[in-house]
Parts: sequence; C-alpha cells; structure tokens
Amino acid sequence: MSRDARIGETLLSVEKVSLAFGGVKALQEVSFDVREHEVRAIIGPNGAGKSSMLNVINGVYHPQHGTIRLRANGAWKEFSDMDPHEAAAMGIARTFQNIALFRGMTVLDNVMTGRNLKMRSNFLEQAIWVGRARREELDHRRAVEEIIDFMEIQHIRKTPVGRLPYGLQKRVELARALAAEPRLLLLDEPMAGMNLEEKQDMCRFVLDVNDHYGTTIVLIEHDMGVVMDISDRVVVLDYGRKIGDGTPDDIRGNQAVIDAYLGVAH
Amino acid sequence: MLYREAGQFKSTYAADQQIFPILQDRIGIALLLAAAFGVVPLVSNEYWLSAIFTPLLIFSLAALGLNILTGYAGQISLGTAAFMAVGAFMAYNFVLRLPWLGLLPSLVLAGICAAAVGIVFGLPSLRIKGFYLAVATLACQFFVLWAIQRIGWFTNYSPTGVITAQNVEILGYEFDSPASKYLLTLAIVVVMALLAKNLMRSETGRAFMAVRDMDVAASVIGIPMMKTKLLAFAISSFYCGVAGALYAYTYLGTVEPEAFTLDLSFRILFMIIIGGVGSILGSFLGAAFITLLPIFLNRLYGLISHALQVDISHAIVSNVELMIFGGLIIFFLIVEPHGLARLWQIAKEKLRLWPFPH
Amino acid sequence: MAVSFFFEVLIGGLLAGVMYSLVALGFVLIYKASGVFNFAQGAMVFFAALTFVSLLEKGVNFWIALAITLAVMVVLGVAIERIVLRPLVNQPPITLFMATIGLTFVVEGLSQLVWGSQPHGLDLGIQDVPMQWLLDTANINISQFDLFASGIAAVLVAALALFFQYTRVGRALRAVADDHQAALAVGIPLKHIWAIVWAVAGFVALVAGLMWGSRNGVQYSLTFIALKALPVLILGGFESIPGAIVGGLIVGASEKLAEVYVGPMVGGGVESWFAYVIALLFLLVRPQGLFGEKIIDRV
Repeated sequence: MSRDARIGETLLSVEKVSLAFGGVKALQEVSFDVREHEVRAIIGPNGAGKSSMLNVINGVYHPQHGTIRLRANGAWKEFSDMDPHEAAAMGIARTFQNIALFRGMTVLDNVMTGRNLKMRSNFLEQAIWVGRARREELDHRRAVEEIIDFMEIQHIRKTPVGRLPYGLQKRVELARALAAEPRLLLLDEPMAGMNLEEKQDMCRFVLDVNDHYGTTIVLIEHDMGVVMDISDRVVVLDYGRKIGDGTPDDIRGNQAVIDAYLGVAH
Repeated sequence: MLYREAGQFKSTYAADQQIFPILQDRIGIALLLAAAFGVVPLVSNEYWLSAIFTPLLIFSLAALGLNILTGYAGQISLGTAAFMAVGAFMAYNFVLRLPWLGLLPSLVLAGICAAAVGIVFGLPSLRIKGFYLAVATLACQFFVLWAIQRIGWFTNYSPTGVITAQNVEILGYEFDSPASKYLLTLAIVVVMALLAKNLMRSETGRAFMAVRDMDVAASVIGIPMMKTKLLAFAISSFYCGVAGALYAYTYLGTVEPEAFTLDLSFRILFMIIIGGVGSILGSFLGAAFITLLPIFLNRLYGLISHALQVDISHAIVSNVELMIFGGLIIFFLIVEPHGLARLWQIAKEKLRLWPFPH
Repeated sequence: MAVSFFFEVLIGGLLAGVMYSLVALGFVLIYKASGVFNFAQGAMVFFAALTFVSLLEKGVNFWIALAITLAVMVVLGVAIERIVLRPLVNQPPITLFMATIGLTFVVEGLSQLVWGSQPHGLDLGIQDVPMQWLLDTANINISQFDLFASGIAAVLVAALALFFQYTRVGRALRAVADDHQAALAVGIPLKHIWAIVWAVAGFVALVAGLMWGSRNGVQYSLTFIALKALPVLILGGFESIPGAIVGGLIVGASEKLAEVYVGPMVGGGVESWFAYVIALLFLLVRPQGLFGEKIIDRV
C-alpha cells in the first residue's frame, strides 16, 4: 500500500495558537493540522518555537490564545488548558530533546512505566501479588517485550539507563513512548546528537513505527535530509510564526522558507 | 564456583520476575529465615533477644517505611518518629478502648491512622520539593509530638504522660517472654517486608521511582503526581506507624512521647543512608549496622581499656560514637552513596566469579 | 495595659528573631557561595561558643580567646570544605545536605570530646535586664541584652553587605554563587573562594555562638538552634542576607505572639512548632521564599 493511501482524516487541529513567556512571544497565531497515520515534520531555525509547539500539544504549556482539537472516538475534543497527564490519557505520547528517562531504573522498568495508564490494579493487590495484579504485570511485560524486540534493545533490558550511551537512551525513550500505544506520537529532535549510522537506524525505527503501528507522528528535526525523506508533510516555523506548510516538495521550493532557514534550495 | 547461575534459565516472565531468581539466593534466604525463626530464639540469651534483635527488627521496619518514601519516591522526610508515635499511641488507644478488636487488628488500624497523618503532612509535597520538604516534615515532627502531649485523650489523661503498654495478647495467647515478643515482631516484619518488596517491583514502585527521578516526565507519561506522592506518604507512614506500635509494645513496654523525638527521625534516616536508599535489603542492613555499632564499639572500648589498663569514661565513649556515626555517614556518601546494599551487590558479583579473578 | 504589653511581646519577639537571623546568616553565606545547605552550622555555633567559653574559663584574656576561637573556626571551616565537600562536589544537593547532617554529629562529638559536656555560662558584660528608662516611661519591658544583640546583628549585616557589594572578594563570591563554571572561566579561584566563605561563616557562627551562649548558656542544645533557623531561611529565602534578617524578625515576632496569645488556649508549648507551620504555609503559597528566585522547571 502506498504511503499516501493510508493517510486518513484530520486527527489533530492546531488553531491560532499563541504562546508568550512574559514578553517573549514563542508562538504567534500558529495553525496547522495533522492527519491520521501521517508523518508531519516541524522545522525551523533555533528559537522558532518548535519545542514550544510540541509542549502546547501535550499540555506542558498552556497557550494564551487559540485551541487544540483532537479527534477522539469520532468526536472532537477541544482543549487549551489540559495538563500532560490528561494528554497522555488521550493517547498522546512524546519524547524529549534532552532525554527524560528515569535514570535510577532499568530499561525494562522505564518502558514498563509507559504502560502505567493501562494498569488497573491497586496497590493492595500489587502488595499481595495475586490475581489481577499478577496477571496484569505479566501481560504488560509481554507487550513491553514485543516493543523491546521491535526497538532492538533486548540486550540491555536489565541495564540501568543512566549507564547507556546517548543513542541507546534515545531508543529506550522511544520504546517507552510506544509502550503507551499512542495515537499521536510527538518526537522532539529524535536524531539530535547522533552519527550517520545511528540516524539511519532511528529513521528506520520511526518509519517502522508509522508503518507497523499506524501511529501518527509529529517530529521536530533539523536534518533536512531526514525531513525530506521520511515526512509526508512539513510545517515551517520562524520566530513563532508559520511560514510554510505543505509537502516536502512544496517546502523545498518555497522562497520564504529558503530565506529563513534552508539557505539554499534543497 | 558456588554462586554460578549456569543452567538456571528462565522460560517464563513469571520466573524472571521472582524476588530471588537465582537458586543460591533462594537457598540463602530460606536458611536465613530458618535461622531467624528457629535457631536464634533457642540459642540467644534474653538480653540479646530483647535489647538487640527485637529493636533491630523494629528499626528495620521503620527504615523500610522511610525508604519507601525517601528512597523509592524521593520525598525526603524528617518526621519518621512522629509517624511512629502516632502508630504507638493509636495502638494503645485502640487496645484500651476497643479491647474486643485484638492486638493485630489494632496494629493495622494504628498503621492506618499513621497513614492518614502521613497523607495530611504529605500534602505540601505537591508543591514543595527537596529540603524545603524536609522542613515541612519537621513541622510535622514537632507538631504531632506537641499534639500528642497536649491532648489528653491520647495518653488517657495520664498525669505523667508515660503510659505502660498493655500486655501483648493475641487470641488468648500471651506474648510475655522476650523470645515470644521477638518471634511476633519477626513474623510481622517478614510479612510486611514481603508486601513492600512486591509493591516496589510492581507499577506502584515504578511510579514512585519515576516521581523520584524526574517528576515532570512522569507526569507527562501519565503518572498522577498527587495520587502517587500521597500514596507514598500513606504507605510509608503505615509502615512507620506499625513499627512505632511494635516499638512500644514489644520493646519499650511503655508508650511515651520522649521515645519519638527528632533524634530518632535522624537515626532512621542514617539507617537508610548507610544501608542503601531505594533498597529493601538496605533498610535491614542499615538498621543492623546502626543498632549493632554501639555494641561493637562498647566491646572494643572494653578491650582497649582492659589492654591499656586505662579507664575510658562513658562520656568519651558516647562522643566518639557520635563522631563515628557522623563520620560514617559522610564516608558512605562519598565512597558509596548507595550504601551497604550496593556493597553487598558488588560482593555478590565478585562471588559469581570466584574463584576466578574475572 | 494591653497595648503596651502587646508591644512588649512584639518587640521582644523581634529581638529574639534577630538572634535567629544571626544563625541564619551563616547558612545563607555558605548556600550563596556553594549551593550547600550546611546543616552543621548549628554545631559550628555550638563549637565556637564552647571553645571560647572554655578558653575564658582557663583564664585566657577575653580578646585573645576571641582571636584564638576565630582562628579555630576558620581552620574548621576550611577543613570541612576540603574533607567533606570537595569530594562530594558534583552530587545532588540532597546528598550534600545529608553529609552536613553527618557533619553535625561529628562536630558535636568533637566539641564535647575536647571540651567536655557540662553546660557553661557565658558573661559578655551585658545583663539581661530591662531597659530602665523604657520601663519607667512607657511600661515596656525590653531586655538590654536583646538590644545589644540586635545592634551586633545590624553591624554584622551591614559589614557583610558592604563586603559583598564593594570588595573584590565579595564580588568574586557573588560570581561564584551565580555560576561556578562561569566564575572559573573568568579566572576566579574557586577553592580559595570557598575557603573564604567557610571562614566567614565560621566567624558568623562565632558571633551567633557568643550571643546565644550568653543568653541561654553554652550547652548541647545550642546545636538545635540550627533547626530554628530553617523556618527563617524559608521565609527569607536561602540566598538573601536581608532575607535572613527579615525572616528572623517574622519568625521571632510571630512565635512570641503566638505563644502569648494563642498558647493559653491550647495548653502552651506552641513555640516548638509554630515557626515551622508558618514556614510550611508560606511554602505552599510561595515555594521560593520571600526573596528567593522563582524556580522554573524545564523539560
């Protein structure tokens, strides 16, 4: 099936979002949409507001103006002051620019925390370790092991994440986000700080996630080669404003984008 | 050679999740429990049972409680003794006013009362972190102790403020010998340690550790901040409350506020620092270390003073002890911040290789 | 009359609060320069007071004893910095805090080992008697000693403020407090600075020790003054010298007022916890204290 065929209806709609920190305007009336099953890239120079945009989508920051709308169960949920916990419950997962893994825990435990919203047993059941608690733990362990296989991190599953090299930590973080079985996955510079080989691996993983699980992906990325290769559509931000929105081919030739960011035609 | 895992393959996740996945460990713990339950009461004299082993177990339980809160969930607390006091005084009152309940249910209820106090004083943790939180728990420590002393109901309006604990009686059987009190304490501590271990390796424990390591990220992936932190305070205080009740009933024999001062809170904190934060085993090791150290030092002074024919005053001994405690804290924090538990792990790793060097 | 009694309690409380500020100042100094919350400050106060008073009792001249004690405090401070803090330099703050708790015990034990554990009285020549003319004219009972202590505190704070603001070393200290790496980058010798800070903190501990020892006697319980300084620091912020004073005033005044006016209703003893509860309530509203900087969590 070609990639265009599987892209569905609009899943997320960002409408005229404005965000300011004191006097600093991080985002100014940014609007775009994200369709189900697509890979949407957000690009732009440093300070353009890309991370802020992701933070708004999953509730870490609250915009002063504008709304985010997410399609859930056929209906639209509108929110602009949701907190991250609610976002997670609605099927939004994300990774961070500076790795936000739990350093004191092993890889397996970290990925298991991604399943927390699916766990139903209470602490008493867990203390006694019978019945529902036991079954749940083993079932989720099975699901997590599949993700660990998918992300090829089996060999380090019992290692505390603090000891892993940067590239592997990024992979673990992606695994944790996947463990939540999200509908929308936000990736904040997933390839940052990686060499060519690691980047190729990560690209492969991102595309596999999109193919295999059908997850809608929004990613921030600086490497234009990656962006052009793997994304279906691109949003370009500059100084908090949207200056481009379309397929990679559209963006490639867009003069405003070239002036602000690309430098030369890619 | 002895401690090899060769041949011990796990083919189910359940087997992999065991508390003691290695056979040698299982044998070890079985032997230890057998010794603790069977051998110790038979060979030890009364002094060792009542003055060393029983308080060691009680402090292990309190250290376990504090470890759940501070070691696993990362919420520093200097109010441990206050929670123990609540447990002790409420147990007393339950046994006094509802004698038909029986001792064990009274202990559980006392623990629940301590948990409730823990939740109230844990509320600030939703806004405050680090040692600001430590100061908030100090407020708890001072306030709770003051309340217990001022509100007559707690001490049954006793004029001296010191109450004798009732006899320890379960289903008609009286636990009046040091051996029986020791065994009762041991049983309770073993059960609670097992429950704690189960809890810390399931989702609750992971949620605690996530909050400890990076609470913003934990919140982003869906872990509820308030519920998790308050649960940590509740469970921790429950454990401390039961420990406090045992402290009064099977060790001190009295229920008095002076037994639960800030000093005790610090002592328990030292136990988990030296023993290992975030480790169930560490709680036991730390409690053992701190309980046994003064005895060891006393024997040592005895030997030195005998050998040198010099009389060392008690004051000097206790001051040196103070310095050694403090020094050990600093030593452990510099050399091995994860305490004795980590040293034990390292020893086991070396044992796996023995007798080969690598 | 009720009003003059109120003022008496209020002013008495404010002055008592100044005494807390003296101790809190030591904390602020060290925290400002090295980010370490030195729980052992109380033990240092005790050690200073005990050393001084023991020297006096051995017949040493007042000023010489003062000088010797100061030297000892400086040495102690530098030793602490080198032996305890240097190895722990990259650890999280909570580890450092716990190390200073351990340090408290070491210093306490050391003090009593060297000088013995009996309580001592300390006479600085100022009596704890009411200011006579104030008593006569306005019927307000305010201790001479308390006023003297406030005077000392004011001088100390002024001296410290001037030191930080106008001297080269003071500027270097502020730079270090802001950003260690940047300070290193401009050539500020970090280790010297820390040694200086601990020496100054030792000096402040000495002054606090003299004041408190004189008021309450020099005994083991002096160590726990450190605990009272904590609510002061919360209110005033951990990094602000004026904050330590303001915090101390607030804590002292509210504690005394609570004890006098609320105490009788609940059986007294309110002083043991009131300051902490105030600090706690304050933290809930403003987690960074009166003068502290807002903490923004970045993900």
